[in-house]
Amino acid sequence: MKKMFFSDKGRRKSEPMDIDITSLLDILVILLVFLLKSYNASNLKLDLVKDLKVPNSEARKLGAHSVIVQVDRQHNIWVKRKKIGSIDISGQKIDSLYTCLEEEQKQYELKNKKKNKAINLVFDKELSYKKMKKIMHTSALAGYTEFKFIVKGNY
Amino acid sequence: MAIARRKLKKAPKLNLIPILDAIFIFIFFLLMSAQFIDIYEIGSDAPITTSSENHPEKNPLNLTVVLSKNNIVIKTGIDGIILKTVKLKNLKEYNKTLQELKKQYPNENSAILKPARNFKYENIVKVIDQTRLISEKNVFVTAVDDQNRKYPSKVLFDKIIFETQD
Repeated sequence: MKKMFFSDKGRRKSEPMDIDITSLLDILVILLVFLLKSYNASNLKLDLVKDLKVPNSEARKLGAHSVIVQVDRQHNIWVKRKKIGSIDISGQKIDSLYTCLEEEQKQYELKNKKKNKAINLVFDKELSYKKMKKIMHTSALAGYTEFKFIVKGNY
Repeated sequence: MAIARRKLKKAPKLNLIPILDAIFIFIFFLLMSAQFIDIYEIGSDAPITTSSENHPEKNPLNLTVVLSKNNIVIKTGIDGIILKTVKLKNLKEYNKTLQELKKQYPNENSAILKPARNFKYENIVKVIDQTRLISEKNVFVTAVDDQNRKYPSKVLFDKIIFETQD
């Protein structure tokens, strides 16, 4: 009876299926090479805002983590990807930027018991020196006297 | 009997699973750290005034680069005597002039930039690149280290200071 229901054919154990992973390995190797080539040892993570084109440069010094101030083509100022205002030429400094940087400096001091002097400046390539100077001056007043201009490597 | 002993041995299969696991973890790590544009920095310190007891050098270079709409004016000395005026388009000539200056003043490494109010950031970066390094291949200048030893270098004036006074 048993044989009638469970025939030998049905009971045969299926062999483990062999999957050909050669093509998958090929893809992984290519991906690995590509990622290794683009690997950057710098701890600076830059997330560019819209409408900002970084100029090309021959500089090859890797950036370091610090406060990032970005200024787009419309002269809007972004600190840590938060829009804080726009460049106002009148007055000695840009108040919104100064307040924001002072706050950042306070937080850094509380955490590290020392002042942070470095500031990463990411400017649109069309920005005029007059506006650049305003940002630099405000940063210096807030205690950030080491300007790091972030540029793109050209090949 | 002989046929049974000669039973064909199957080639041992490599267990690739742990290697694949490791590769996947490696790829995730690299994907997280990947930056698809290469970013670098150009350092510049804000000018500060200090009173120093040290006597300044007799003839400091005091290299000052004035950037106007179309020209680059190279000034030297405390009085700011114009050494040369170069067209902004002709950055190679500017670089060569700085190479000559570096040969005369191997210990100097700073340059003061004075761009015009409407001078574009992109052009400032171009001028900085030409001020900091020799652009031509296989051309070097003699630099001097802390112990007065000479060595070939491609660095010209890598300490850039912006003039912020109006």
